[in-house]
Amino acid sequence: MGFQAKRCGVQFNPPSIVLVYIHTDTNKIRKRIIPIRNFFKHSDCSTAAERLKNHPRHRGYLDQVPLHQLEKLHIVLRDHMQGLSLENSLASFQLDPDEDLNKLEDEELARKKGQMDTLFERNRKRKDDPDFVYDLEVEFDKSKEEKCSWDEESDEDI
Amino acid sequence: MADHIGCIPELDQKKYDAREQVKIICLGDSAVGKSKLMERFLMDEFRPQQLSTYALTLYKHTANVGNKTVAVDFWDTAGQERFQSMHPSYYHKAHACIMVFDVQRKITYKNLANWYKELREYRPEIPCCVVANKIDADLKVTQRSFSFAKKQGLPFYFVSAADGTNVVKMFREMINRAVDYKQNPSDFMDEVLEELENFDLEKKEENSEAEEDELKAESPELA
Repeated sequence: MGFQAKRCGVQFNPPSIVLVYIHTDTNKIRKRIIPIRNFFKHSDCSTAAERLKNHPRHRGYLDQVPLHQLEKLHIVLRDHMQGLSLENSLASFQLDPDEDLNKLEDEELARKKGQMDTLFERNRKRKDDPDFVYDLEVEFDKSKEEKCSWDEESDEDI
Repeated sequence: MADHIGCIPELDQKKYDAREQVKIICLGDSAVGKSKLMERFLMDEFRPQQLSTYALTLYKHTANVGNKTVAVDFWDTAGQERFQSMHPSYYHKAHACIMVFDVQRKITYKNLANWYKELREYRPEIPCCVVANKIDADLKVTQRSFSFAKKQGLPFYFVSAADGTNVVKMFREMINRAVDYKQNPSDFMDEVLEELENFDLEKKEENSEAEEDELKAESPELA
């Protein structure tokens, strides 16, 4: 019996995580709505996400859903409980390349990391991928290298 | 005598004096992918040991260098970088350093200068490298030259923790350099330089003036 997760989202009322998956035995697409209980507007999102991921009744279904995604969905849920609009909630995950992330609190940083993780997962090569190479080496042609604009201004402080 | 610096009760840093043990530290801003790189290199071996009190994560690895087995401890920050500076125990007895920045965020590149400065205050001699991570996000960056590494005479690697490009190569070379450094230590130099602290010259001058004034004021009484 296997479950191949396709999409995972959130439903505000009642607060739930929604999972669309393929049941690999039957090859049928199914939807599972998991109610989120004991989660309130001051609850800790990473703890709640971890609890859900390890929940005996749901963990089989959520096996392929990364923890950071569950955490992100909990943050969206909690933002809603705190009265934040969905638009503003989602905007808080956006990355500003000039922002100094060293200055963020844990939770704000988790939001940004969540966004980065999406890209990471998209480009990720896993051990069980057929073209996976553990010690992949790539030489980049240095002769074509151009000067990086990051080095131009205030050159003296770097 | 210097050992109180490395005082983390759970961790006896004296073990790094043993011939078959090396300590490699990672430096760089928040979210540049330091832990992701560790994870990619260690794969199934990936069992981080969290020391949350010290905002520190340790990874243990066993490497074969030449015909010897070497135990490698990788030290990674767990949010400590947000204080813009690391506790001295982080640098204590380190044999090599991996400095990481995110090719998508200029500020993480600019901050390398600060990390490097701090590293050299504690460990003037240890091998160090610069790692440009997340090249999978935009391969065009690999056609640009980032001058910081060249200016400091440090090896430079374009890597991706996501697709694995050059990650293993970089770690293996750094482990070799850490072991080399350990066999030919310049620890003595390190200690001497540690003693020569960067005095604030202006303050020193002020102080010496103040002393002179005192002497003048006292001299009539002495006479």
